[in-house]
Amino acid sequence: MRVKVKLFGLLRIDSGIKEVELEASTVRELYPLLLAEMRRRDPECSLDEKDLRACVVAVNERRAKPGTKLSPGDVVCLLPPVAGG
Amino acid sequence: MTEYSGYMGKMLMIDLDDGSEKEYPWTDRDRELYIGGKAAASKIMYDNFTGKEDPFSGDNLIIVSTGPVTGTFAPSSNRFDISSLSPLTGLTTSSNCGGDFGFYLKKAGLDALIIRGKSEKPIWIEINEGGVKFHPADELWGLKTGETQTALKKKLAELNGPKGRYGMLCIGPAGENLVRYAAVISGERAGGRGGIGAVFGSKNVKALVSTGSREIKIFNKEKAMEHHKKWTAALKAHPITGSQLPRLGTASLVSSMEMNGQLATRNFSAGRFESFEKVSGEALAEEENITNSGCLSCPIRCTRTVEVDGKKVKGPELETLGLFGANLLNDNLKLVCRWNNELDELGMDSISCAGTIAWAMEANEKGLWDNGLKFGQVDGISQVLEDIAFRRGIGDELAEGSKRLSDKYGGKDFAIQSKGMELSAYEPRRAVGQGLGYAVSNRGGCHLNGGYLVVLEGLGLNIDRQTPKAKAQLCMFMQDFMESISLCGHCLFTSYAVFPGFLISKPNSPISRFVNFIIPHCGWAVGMLDRFPAMACMNMPLIPYTYELKYAVGMKMNIGKFLRIGERSYNVERAVNARFGVSAESDKLPKRLTDVLQDPKDPSSKVPLERMKRIYYRTRGWGADGLPGQSKLKRLGIR
Ligand code: SF4
Repeated sequence: MRVKVKLFGLLRIDSGIKEVELEASTVRELYPLLLAEMRRRDPECSLDEKDLRACVVAVNERRAKPGTKLSPGDVVCLLPPVAGG
Repeated sequence: MTEYSGYMGKMLMIDLDDGSEKEYPWTDRDRELYIGGKAAASKIMYDNFTGKEDPFSGDNLIIVSTGPVTGTFAPSSNRFDISSLSPLTGLTTSSNCGGDFGFYLKKAGLDALIIRGKSEKPIWIEINEGGVKFHPADELWGLKTGETQTALKKKLAELNGPKGRYGMLCIGPAGENLVRYAAVISGERAGGRGGIGAVFGSKNVKALVSTGSREIKIFNKEKAMEHHKKWTAALKAHPITGSQLPRLGTASLVSSMEMNGQLATRNFSAGRFESFEKVSGEALAEEENITNSGCLSCPIRCTRTVEVDGKKVKGPELETLGLFGANLLNDNLKLVCRWNNELDELGMDSISCAGTIAWAMEANEKGLWDNGLKFGQVDGISQVLEDIAFRRGIGDELAEGSKRLSDKYGGKDFAIQSKGMELSAYEPRRAVGQGLGYAVSNRGGCHLNGGYLVVLEGLGLNIDRQTPKAKAQLCMFMQDFMESISLCGHCLFTSYAVFPGFLISKPNSPISRFVNFIIPHCGWAVGMLDRFPAMACMNMPLIPYTYELKYAVGMKMNIGKFLRIGERSYNVERAVNARFGVSAESDKLPKRLTDVLQDPKDPSSKVPLERMKRIYYRTRGWGADGLPGQSKLKRLGIR
């Protein structure tokens, strides 16, 4: 399934990726693919899969879990946890 | 005089009616019970207000109070408090400010400055070790806050030579023109909420300037420095205070709030904004932010610096970004940066200002008030801000705030305020504990005085946002805890580091999920801890504040006592408000938030306020009228 992945917070700042299209059938499958994409764009990228797994995930604006199944055209948002205002 | 370190041992009261000054009686017993800051101010109001005072009368007080750690160079601990009777709510209000004024007030030898009466003509007041001097302010009247501070620096150099260092607190045109949500500004920092700037204006006080060279004593320098080092390291290692706040500031919350349905949108009629990305913390970092800055002695440095008209100025915080962005259906980030600067320069609270404008847009749309304002059409907002500050045209009416306007034109159900104060940017139908906090907050619709439960409800921890379970107890606990932190002089943002970092950075781990699951089942334990604080007669490295009082101030402290001080502060403030007519009836939210579902398909998507309120009063030991009785006050040592 081709899905659009959007990154937020420090994940976006640190990877320099705002959004990217990837092929995956569950959220869990996205993690290594996304990491590979980050490393492809910046071999020095210090992020690892743990950082991705720590993120809050939403698929089509609904909270999702690693096992959530994806459909073609889905929009997956990854957001590191935050606090403070 | 005082036996404790950290304090200067003197509070000064000045009377503008006759220009007199006298020491305000304050003993070490008071210091032990109230510590300082807002708690001291609330007790002073308790001792002086009868309930008949008008915010704009000479009987109203302006109380600028510091905490014992202000100026001790503990990390992020240079804050001070400004309290008064609010022209917006008619009740007590307070603003915690990160500017330099508090530090220099202590250098002048004072822990607090209390101002009563009214000056006949505009003045600015100079405070130094020798006392106070009144200077005419005719030339300053009408100036914006930046211009005022620049002009004052020039004048002070003429008067005292070029070498002096000063802390300043001033108002802009909004304060002079009695805008009910006018702010006071110290450097670039605002004491925003509740309209204290208008109280300055009503007393004809344009600015306060303090200076001096008195030493701020530290009880055990060696231990205190060692503690500061460890604390700074802990703040720097924490994912929020060491990474997210320094790098993205509070603005980083916009995206999380949107995802949680907590981003106030279109005057709180929704919790999500389609174009949120354009007015998010990420956009601010990528497109506008030049560097970050911070208050004195702060290793976090959460403030953004942006460029407006070629000048480097303070960038918008989350509240301004959310309320002037999503809540007005505005996706133009450059404009928000510009308005943020204009608000500071005019001296106005961005939260109440934006909330009032959003109400006016909806009132216009519904045909209640023909004012020309429309959601999404924001080109003229700069002009509207000026008109409010100078009370011109519709600005004169907008300067009154959304409650008074809805009393006049109708539309109370969508006047998003509590006790007359507009709510901050968190949509509480997706954080019901925060909804309770907004309603019961002594100050009115304030997220911080309301306990800031949204930080547990999806913006840090991730407990069930819709359940009312344990929210009353958590609300009380957080209110008391945050109260204690800020009245010492610490920044509330340091409290995020109290949550172990792994709970924040690994929200999907089994332990984090367990903690999030268990918290709503622990209301009874929080209630017990509050009722029997002796249960917590210990100190814990995770809670650095008690150590700071021990090492820097020389005060015996433990967690239980620390929480009790916050509780006392909250209760004495409530007791003052009771004299001005506050009761359970006043702890309200607009119907939009309690009766209308955010998501028509989700019956839990509104604030079940009455149910939580009843438990909250019971947990606080208050009557069903929402007030502390005499026995409660006595038990807390409030006399
Ligand atoms: S965290 Fe931010 S608001 Fe708090 S003291 Fe530091 S710079 Fe000031």
